[in-house]
Amino acid sequence: MGEKSRRNFLKTLGIAGAACTGIPSQKLISKTQPQLSEDRMGVLVDTTVCIGCRRCEWVCKKTHDIPAGEIESYSEESVFSKMRRPGNEGYTKVNRYDNYQNPSRPINVKVQCMHCDQPACVSACIVGAFSKKEDGSVVWDSNKCIGCRYCMVACPFQIPTFEYENALNPDIHKCDFCAERTEEGLLPACVDICPVEALTYGKRRDLIEVAEKRIKLYPDRYIDKIYGFTEVGGTSWMYLANTEFEKLDFPNLRDNPAPGVSESIQHGIFAYFVPPISLYALLGGIMWVTKKKNNNNGWNK
Amino acid sequence: MIEYGFQPKPIKRKFFTPWVIVISIIAFTGLIFLASRFIFGLGSVTNLNQFFPWGIWIGLDVAAGVALAAGGFTAAALGHIWHRDKYEIFIRPALLTALLGYTFVALSVVTDIGRWNYVWHPLVMWNGNSALFEVGICVMVYLSVLYIEFLPIVTERFIGKVNLPGFLSVLNKAIDSLLRILDRTLNKFMFVFIIAGVVLSCLHQSSLGTLMIIAGQKMHPLWQTPVLPLLFLLSAFSVGFPMVIMESLSASKSFGMKPEKDILSSLAKFVGPLLSFYLAFKIGDMVIRESFVYLTEFNAASIMFTIEVVIGVALPLRLFLSPSVRESSTGLFIASMLVIFGVLINRFNNFVIAYDPPYTETSYFPSVGEIAVTLGFVALEILLYRAFVMIFPIISQPIKGAILKTKYAIKGAR
Amino acid sequence: MKAHLKIFIFFLILSQFLITSFAQNHSQMKFDCSLCHACETPTKSDPCLITCPCDEMMTVHIPPVRSPKIITMHKLNVNQNLYEPVLFSHRVHAEMSEMSGGCGMCHHYNPSGNVVPCSNCHQINRNRTDISKPDLKAAYHRQCIDCHMQWSDDFSCTSCHELNESGRTAFEEKEIKEERVHPEIEVPEKLIYQTPDQKKSLVTFYHSDHTNYFDFECIDCHQEESCTSCHLKNELKSEQKISMRLKHKSCSQCHYTDEKSDCTKCHIKEIAKPFNHKRRTSFELKSYHMELSCIRCHESKSVFTGLSSNCANCHSGWNLETFDHKVTGLMLDEMHADVECIDCHPGEDFSTVPSCEDCHDEKTYPDDKPGILKN
Repeated sequence: MGEKSRRNFLKTLGIAGAACTGIPSQKLISKTQPQLSEDRMGVLVDTTVCIGCRRCEWVCKKTHDIPAGEIESYSEESVFSKMRRPGNEGYTKVNRYDNYQNPSRPINVKVQCMHCDQPACVSACIVGAFSKKEDGSVVWDSNKCIGCRYCMVACPFQIPTFEYENALNPDIHKCDFCAERTEEGLLPACVDICPVEALTYGKRRDLIEVAEKRIKLYPDRYIDKIYGFTEVGGTSWMYLANTEFEKLDFPNLRDNPAPGVSESIQHGIFAYFVPPISLYALLGGIMWVTKKKNNNNGWNK
Repeated sequence: MIEYGFQPKPIKRKFFTPWVIVISIIAFTGLIFLASRFIFGLGSVTNLNQFFPWGIWIGLDVAAGVALAAGGFTAAALGHIWHRDKYEIFIRPALLTALLGYTFVALSVVTDIGRWNYVWHPLVMWNGNSALFEVGICVMVYLSVLYIEFLPIVTERFIGKVNLPGFLSVLNKAIDSLLRILDRTLNKFMFVFIIAGVVLSCLHQSSLGTLMIIAGQKMHPLWQTPVLPLLFLLSAFSVGFPMVIMESLSASKSFGMKPEKDILSSLAKFVGPLLSFYLAFKIGDMVIRESFVYLTEFNAASIMFTIEVVIGVALPLRLFLSPSVRESSTGLFIASMLVIFGVLINRFNNFVIAYDPPYTETSYFPSVGEIAVTLGFVALEILLYRAFVMIFPIISQPIKGAILKTKYAIKGAR
Repeated sequence: MKAHLKIFIFFLILSQFLITSFAQNHSQMKFDCSLCHACETPTKSDPCLITCPCDEMMTVHIPPVRSPKIITMHKLNVNQNLYEPVLFSHRVHAEMSEMSGGCGMCHHYNPSGNVVPCSNCHQINRNRTDISKPDLKAAYHRQCIDCHMQWSDDFSCTSCHELNESGRTAFEEKEIKEERVHPEIEVPEKLIYQTPDQKKSLVTFYHSDHTNYFDFECIDCHQEESCTSCHLKNELKSEQKISMRLKHKSCSQCHYTDEKSDCTKCHIKEIAKPFNHKRRTSFELKSYHMELSCIRCHESKSVFTGLSSNCANCHSGWNLETFDHKVTGLMLDEMHADVECIDCHPGEDFSTVPSCEDCHDEKTYPDDKPGILKN
């Protein structure tokens, strides 16, 4: 029981701790997620084109069986006085911002799920209810959901919302990229209804080309940035604007995928169960050795 | 244990005292709010919203609950795996705390998730990428392990004493022999579960730290670090023994017994190095990431971080390093409470204070209902602990007339 | 399916026609070939055209009067059954566009030959593979809504699209708006501006005088104007703060408006009368002079003063043979027709009417006339 054995104890604790956490030095991108399709779809939102008619909000509700009300009521502009976020009662919202370059033409920004290429919600969901589909959409299976709300914690864009008032069977809500429509070969409802095609639906790689060309052709009209091109590893929905995106309430995110670090650690701890089993063997060894030394029979005598 | 002059025995005392009544009232209040959560939904009781999906039920009840139940696996590791036999008197109280602690963690999870009836889903629907999935599975398995570890105490209590009332008494003999078979079998394989318990604890204690990493830039840089799982594990190691010390001292006080100061003091010697290890990593991480620049700002985050590190880690570290503090029960109690406070506040900070999502209009503050349920759970735990130690042989009591002699005789003989 | 095929064949024929008619002459045009062609030597089979959107577009100018008055936009009515085709008042918009970007504002790609229909490049179907250009619906809407929403809060669908039968049932709307065509532009006769200074002087601007007498084309004053310069939302109007120089900009092309000049020429207490040549110069413009543009007599465009009212000042080449006296309202009789001009108009003063007594003793004018008065 001297100093020596205590040192040993601490040393083994240290090793055990390191084995438990075992963080790889290099950043790892999720290995377990399926390879992203080259042809995955996306939407390019041109905020300089959007007129803020909010028909996308109306049709979104219609498509998802949410009470939508009269379409005429969506011409009401007073709603723009407050920033609105997507919620259970509508998976997309349009917010209006002052345009200092041309006050008579305010900037309208539609917000909805960005459908990340490396989605944090997919990585986080405890029951794997979320999934990134081949067409680029991030959808979820409500039947699996246990309502833990970890997806809301994980999402860098603060998109999924929860039915707090529902006591019996609360659900998570977010934009599903109109998965049911696109399966039938239709456009997402918001893209379909947009009168000015501020939302362009197409293959993500084509959209990037289109966006780059627009920026090159009209340098006065756009700032040289495609939001969502690299943010959190890229998103299926991307934006063009004539002013800094932070001024339009876009979060200033880094380029590394949101679930990257977390998954690296997870897979470090559970690398083919080697660290836990090693720890088990180590502890078993210590138990066996110390038991012999103490010449003690049985663990609970 | 007998050779050290102690034997665990059920404590014979009156259950209700004025304090127990106060605690019962707190527990009852919590249960009322708990009922309304299940009837009217989470929104009616909590202050949670679309920006703050997790509140104190996750931050305190679950995260801090798991951390403070670390006494169970640290005591088991010391007593059973390293075979430091003199500390075995703490294993059963620590096991009971862990058992109750994890039971209430599970209850808190059931309370907090929206569809509590689907709580079994993670068992069949796996997502290996999810830190929460790992925590969930580990907690479920570890909880089962804890119950298995507790079984010998049940068998010890009831073997030869099965006395069912009325017509059930015909089963007495059968149950008795069943308990005996169980006891024998468990005795052979218990080491499997003991090691499993420690491994599982290491895994999910650290994975709890991984939970918030995915929140990325939504989490304040003072806490957001890739070594968060290691910090969680180290803090769990550090808080294990202070929990045992605090419980032992509280139980002694509550039941009017003499605290086992000698053993507690020598147990306290482990705390200092463990705490310094934790502090070193915490400071080292801060220096490497240069996150100390955020301490120059004056806001909730910097204040809470300072409180957490100075009062919750540095101060108790200094106290545990001092022999005079370790020798006094008051000193031990205060120092242990500070460590517990430090870990508690650390979990609260990580899950509540550090979490700063975009687009918020107001910040989160727990509602009366949330606080009532949290306090109610703590109160229930205390009540159950009291009831358990009165029913089962958990707290070791000195064998009358043989205390001093036996103790020193055996120590000297070695 | 059949309808689609028909449309396709129609466009195929149309594009063939356009290509042949265009290809014959356009190589002589003063355009940089690289504007449209990506390669050095484009051939008929491989014209290697640059795909839109291009850096620069070409367009030809056709005066609004030659353009169609109203166009029925029916191409998108294949699937959309809620609305009647939009009646687009092309002429009015063309006239207005003359004041700013011209035809190119909308017809951004329009090489010589026939006007290229929008649907040649902008696809009717939104669900398409080539997403480099907006689809037809978006192309139309972007042209209209962008301006319309800047000056009108009412940019709802029905402000342009009339609901058809099924549309009315869908939206449960009974009311049909009659007028969906841009009204003819009213040219104002006069505009009265109130100067916001202490003197509260008025400036009366006779728009009709400027267009009728002074021969101004719209674009001479209305330069680079967008729709919003006339159609401006009320709340924005008051916000517009412009400098004094900018306020006088359109006048200062002809009038002196700097601080040294005499303000009272335009800024007066009461509403000014329309321009009257006689009152201003005591030379009345009658008959032929009425029809002349100012610069026929006032040759320097900026200086209008200093012209003598003497006819010979302008009409130097007139003599008995070349001047038909009838135009003055008096057809000279045989007796007077051969009299030299200066015999009746001494000193070549043609502005004062000579009297009979100047030559005759007993004759009195106007009882006895030297010819027949014509009016």
